[in-house]
Amino acid sequence: MAPDKSTEKKSAGMEFFENVYRSIFRYGRIPQDGEGASYAVFNNLFLHIHPVKVSRHSLKFTYTFGLGVIATSLFLILTFTGVWLMFYYYPSATEAYGRMLDLRSSVDFGFVLRNVHKWAAEAMVFFVVLHMARVFLTGAYKPPREFNWVIGVILLLLTLGLSFTGYLLPWDQLAFWAITVGTSIAGYAPVIGEPLRQFLLGSDSVGQEALIRFYVLHVVILPGLLYVFLAVHFWRIRKDGGLSHPSENEPQDVAEKGAEL
Amino acid sequence: MKEVDTTQVYPQDPNKTYGLMELVRGTKPTVGPAPEDMVYSWPHLLIRELVIFLTVAACLLVAAFLFNAPLEELANPNHPPNPAKAPWYFLGLQELVSYSAFVGGVVVPGLLVVALILVPYIDRKKVGVGIWFARERWLANGTFLAFLILMCILIIVGMYFRGPNWGFVVPWE
Repeated sequence: MAPDKSTEKKSAGMEFFENVYRSIFRYGRIPQDGEGASYAVFNNLFLHIHPVKVSRHSLKFTYTFGLGVIATSLFLILTFTGVWLMFYYYPSATEAYGRMLDLRSSVDFGFVLRNVHKWAAEAMVFFVVLHMARVFLTGAYKPPREFNWVIGVILLLLTLGLSFTGYLLPWDQLAFWAITVGTSIAGYAPVIGEPLRQFLLGSDSVGQEALIRFYVLHVVILPGLLYVFLAVHFWRIRKDGGLSHPSENEPQDVAEKGAEL
Repeated sequence: MKEVDTTQVYPQDPNKTYGLMELVRGTKPTVGPAPEDMVYSWPHLLIRELVIFLTVAACLLVAAFLFNAPLEELANPNHPPNPAKAPWYFLGLQELVSYSAFVGGVVVPGLLVVALILVPYIDRKKVGVGIWFARERWLANGTFLAFLILMCILIIVGMYFRGPNWGFVVPWE
């Protein structure tokens, strides 16, 4: 905590701004010591998902390659660009495609907006899989992190679901037929397959009903679920003792090792 | 200030006094065996997160200016393209479906998801944790990598080697 330097004389204006600043950030400016660094993290809603201290091992870039943070960054960017796109999009089979053309021609930087959203979505599927591979190949799913691995599998499925439902929205040939093929795969399941396919499409084939269902899933239900599970995922990292660490391994039995050799 | 002898597993900081405060059962809280190995999240973790986020955002902007997201002509239910392909991450499934709709489209993906969920409840032995490609974990890591590579091959086949009526084509011809 920075020591109070208010002994010097200040103008009324400065004091006003100082008071406002202090009412928002109670613990001074940039932390100067360990106490300040601790307060900076746990007195801030957006930072307090972090522990106050982390192990050096978990910060090594070659251990995690930042894959989880990359996937999260992509999701935040997708939320931001996705909400922005909602201002221009209209989930109607007759309107949607025209809105895509508008994004290219008449909306300022509309093509950048759509391109960022598209490439971030592709990248998110890719990096979520890479993150999962990292966790597996470092044995990080072992107790006590079993359940967080399960949450991770759910997050992967939600990511695929988000990407798949978003695929239909441009309503071009690519979208229409990819979703026709994708939903027909669901139809192959015995008993529940065909009802499930009809439930997703709201009809026998891809049309206006499918578009509105995919739209609601894509902009409300799936991202909402993903945020909930993401919060649980982060919370569990801390409850399970931070990132996996080699010191968690059972001590090697020297005698047994010797006998093997 | 005296220097900390970092060659020890439990380095003693000569500038501090030590006393037994509490005995903790279990391994859950982040109290590692070597407490001096911890650093403050501010700034060590936060600066890394910020750098990664900004790098991701910058790369996306560059990609967005260089490559346009695909947009074909208006959807037409009467003119199916041949072949109609699923999104790339489902092309592995579509490839399997082309052999058997039920096995490829339902059984295999269903078993894969169930297997993924069960992994940490089957493989519980605490060896090789926190180490890339630990030698003791060759079987688990090998199996996982085999599945991952197989999935990649199926996706690449679906993307580049499948033409009209899902027949085999070579992309460079």
